[in-house]
Amino acid sequence: MLSLRKRQNGVIRYYILLLFSLLYISSPAQAQFGESDLRIFGYFQTLFHYQNQDLPKRKLSSFSLQQLNLFMQKDLAQNWRAFINIEGVNTFNSKRNWGSLRFEEAWARYRSGVKFNLKVGLQIPTFNHFNEIKNRTPLLPYAIRPLVYETSFEEIISVEEYVPTRAFVQAYGFLPHNNFKLDYALYIGNSPNINDLKDNGQTGIDTTASLLVGGRIGIRFLGLKAGVSTTRQNIDFFDFAANIYGGSENLYEDVIQTRLGADFSLDLRRLYLEGEYISVSYEEINATANIDKDFYYGTLGYDLTEHALIYGTYWHTGEEFQIITFTVDVFSAGLSYSLNDRTKLKAQYARVKIREELKVQLGTTLPRVDRSKFHYLGAALSIFF
Amino acid sequence: MFGPLQAQVVIIAHKDVPVEQLTQPQLLDFYTGDIKRWKNKDPVVVFTLKPKTALQDSFFYLLGKTSSRMKSIWMKNILSGEGDPPESLISESAVLQKVATTPGAIGFVSQDSTNNAVKTLMINKGKTWPLF
Repeated sequence: MLSLRKRQNGVIRYYILLLFSLLYISSPAQAQFGESDLRIFGYFQTLFHYQNQDLPKRKLSSFSLQQLNLFMQKDLAQNWRAFINIEGVNTFNSKRNWGSLRFEEAWARYRSGVKFNLKVGLQIPTFNHFNEIKNRTPLLPYAIRPLVYETSFEEIISVEEYVPTRAFVQAYGFLPHNNFKLDYALYIGNSPNINDLKDNGQTGIDTTASLLVGGRIGIRFLGLKAGVSTTRQNIDFFDFAANIYGGSENLYEDVIQTRLGADFSLDLRRLYLEGEYISVSYEEINATANIDKDFYYGTLGYDLTEHALIYGTYWHTGEEFQIITFTVDVFSAGLSYSLNDRTKLKAQYARVKIREELKVQLGTTLPRVDRSKFHYLGAALSIFF
Repeated sequence: MFGPLQAQVVIIAHKDVPVEQLTQPQLLDFYTGDIKRWKNKDPVVVFTLKPKTALQDSFFYLLGKTSSRMKSIWMKNILSGEGDPPESLISESAVLQKVATTPGAIGFVSQDSTNNAVKTLMINKGKTWPLF
């Protein structure tokens, strides 16, 4: 008669054998249906920057963990993939209230073929060329990205006003014809009126009945890529716009915002040229409420060697307010050097000019035009793991 | 055969691949991941060489890209969740063995290395083939 202990050992061995049998049986089944293992990968970029401002005189320098992204990816079945992107910016520290940590993407994609893909879930919508890759730092030669795409500047420049940041359903693909490809993307998502106050109910949800609607059509031919993009959404400016521009608060509910974008890039083996234009306009509410804005940039780059790339770039933003026109012009140049396939060093210089011009003369002491400028030096290390 | 005089590259494929020739843009589409299936709906399986060699340089020259630009395209596919880079193999013999035994496979070797276990594809410029 077996002792209790021997019987328990026997039961344990039985279940271990059963477990391995099930794993052995299920693995071929998983492979048959296209399921893959979970992949975890990511990257981060560490930045040192020095800023020397002329008007007013000020200097500052700092290190920061500019950005860290962690990805998880799994093929769920044939033609189905799940993808998650978690992003932290500006040396995120919740205790000290530095930076931010957020879910940047969490979507499932069904791929029918090159002509049709459907992506459902939190995602970065297609707008111009740069929006989808703006936070993919290992791909970019920049230590600091063109202004409206620099998420670490989002406290200074309203990134979400210039480019759409969150879509939830997107259909995309391309239609091939000889050597041409006609790209398309259509998506819907949230308007920017997102509840941030816990006292007002569930945070993170769109508080309006409107949706972001947008898309891009473009063409690719050999090394040329060009396209136009647009989005439309309704914005509720609540009472702050009424306080500034006057009139009833109702005038500033459901204000139609339209973005128009154009992008162009040319890849000529060692030389590349790219540029974009973005226009943000609002329906006219009254004669004084003009808050349209625009942005454009152009970059010329050259592969010195397989590892080294140099570039020059120019960025411009222009914003209209009730009594002020605000413009920022940046001339920048830099170098990126790939130590290996996963490690990239970046160095960048930028001269920034900020101009504020009063549309009307206010008294006799305020200058009509106020200018400030500063010099910026940045050095970054980008790691892909 | 294409490429600088340092290395003459030939494009090879599994014997079941349903084409005998490709255009340069089509070949680029396979290696960028834009096209993932042959006309018969079989998946395209792409192989490349890991070591930096004159042969690899010749192949990228054929594609009209620098090696750094191709690596950037492959990394973009990884980071956007849109695709995976080609499998990198350590030698031409490994490429030959993998292409010969993987349905739908395509790769490149030097002219002197190819054998009868694989098919050699002609590369034309300007002509297209209805692959999809």
